[in-house]
Amino acid sequence: MGKIPPSFRSAIANPNLRNPSSLFRPQPHHFPNKHQQPRKPSKQQQKPSSLPLFKSPNLEDAKKLFNSIANSSSDPRFPNSLLHSYAKLATTPSDSIKFFNHITKTLPSFSPDRSTFHILLSHASNNSNLLSPIHQTLNLMLAAGITPDTATADVAVRSLCSAGRLDHAVELIKEFASKHCPPDTYTFNFLVKHLCKSSTITTVYAFIDEMREKFDVKPDLVTYTILIDNVCNGKNLNLREAMRLVSVLHEEGFKLDCFVYNTIMKGYCVLSRGSEAIEVYNKMKEEGVEPDLVTYNTLIFGLSKSGRVTEARKLLRVMAEKGYFPDEVTYTSLMNGLCRKGDALGALALLGEMEAKGCSPNACTYNTLLHGLCKARLVEKAVKFYQVIRASGLKLDTASYGTFVRALCRDGRIAEAYEVFDYAVESKSLTDVAAYSTLESTLKWLRKAKEQGLAI
Amino acid sequence: MLPQRMKKAITDNPKKLANLIDLVNLPSTLREFVGQSQISRLGCFKCIWSYIKTNNLQDQNNKNVVNCDEKLKSILLGKPQVELAELPALIKMHFPKEPK
Repeated sequence: MGKIPPSFRSAIANPNLRNPSSLFRPQPHHFPNKHQQPRKPSKQQQKPSSLPLFKSPNLEDAKKLFNSIANSSSDPRFPNSLLHSYAKLATTPSDSIKFFNHITKTLPSFSPDRSTFHILLSHASNNSNLLSPIHQTLNLMLAAGITPDTATADVAVRSLCSAGRLDHAVELIKEFASKHCPPDTYTFNFLVKHLCKSSTITTVYAFIDEMREKFDVKPDLVTYTILIDNVCNGKNLNLREAMRLVSVLHEEGFKLDCFVYNTIMKGYCVLSRGSEAIEVYNKMKEEGVEPDLVTYNTLIFGLSKSGRVTEARKLLRVMAEKGYFPDEVTYTSLMNGLCRKGDALGALALLGEMEAKGCSPNACTYNTLLHGLCKARLVEKAVKFYQVIRASGLKLDTASYGTFVRALCRDGRIAEAYEVFDYAVESKSLTDVAAYSTLESTLKWLRKAKEQGLAI
Repeated sequence: MLPQRMKKAITDNPKKLANLIDLVNLPSTLREFVGQSQISRLGCFKCIWSYIKTNNLQDQNNKNVVNCDEKLKSILLGKPQVELAELPALIKMHFPKEPK
């Protein structure tokens, strides 16, 4: 689709505003040449309600505009879409509620339904730090004779979570459970997942226990998978806790599924504990759980990481027999393993094999190879490879940028290192600060090494 | 997002990052060059590097060497030729560590 400069775009949108009826004209059936059409009309074709109808968050302006077009459509969903587009813009949720009240007053024929209130709820946590807009909406809802249900809870909790107000979300879900209805598993698991990201695991356990005791909301297999995933992740990796959770799962009578196994396997792989990962894989087969693509990818990643590339390669055959085609993740993991062993040329050969099979490499693949080539001191090849990355406009990652800059400087190709710095900043691969501090410290290291007469 | 190691470096030593991005009042020589009275060390580096590029000051035979023009000489210790490798160190001299 052709790009239109922003100034021109508003020029197209403005006549629509002054002549609102044109918004709701019968839609053209087709565009003979879509590429030459300006953006607006084709958008209108797809979704008439998502036009930026309201231009300012000012409530009075919105009311005036509403009055002028209120009767232009008899579609019962029309007021809802207007409410939706204003609520997106409104500075505070109370403005949206006022606008809603205005609609009900001016359009007596309009009877708000569940979705109307869900629209209000989904925007009730924009630019506000209070729960009161949500309470207000819920009261309005009850007054209209609609009881809040699990979907209502879900909308409210999701909007609070996306605004980063987890404490409020927890408060609200408890209140909901005691007043209206307990949350369904989707809402519950969604909240648990968000809590895991920002709070300590004990807080999450306390929340789950409280929900179980007070409102009889039981954690399910998905909840446990989220918890295991959380303890298997990055900085707070705690495999003992993961194993404890698995035993709890057994006690509660859950049968472990592919996702749980994959998650546990990931935990072992991150720690480069290939043998344990294989054990998990064997256990899976014993229990009759069919491994999927993620299982194989995780396993190949883990084996490559712990230096067992030959076994990883064998797995490639196994997965092909089972009908899973290795994807770019599989190949990149293998290349990573080869590069770790110093066999950068083997990794490069794998790139050819991969492309021959019709699997296109991604940025991560290129970065892995660049990193590997530099580590193997094949600077000439690395430079050629970097040209490919540059030509395709791919981003560099921190590790390969650092290694490449170091390799160039070691080779006395400072100007090229500067050029890589420019590319990293220009392509927004790294922040300016990160890119510059790497360059600066590399040059400092180079000078020191020279002063000490070290061979570089 | 900042990379993991960078994040650690910042939390370990916030001053290290601060002296890279904090605005500093410039001495008169540098002020003339960048056309601003305040700049960060990072900003100053970018400014000088882009000046080198736009004026084609890199030596044709050896790109690692910069042939300074008068303007550049005035801020880089009056050297007629500067190696790219020592550029960050030279720039750092204009940004002395603040006394404790």
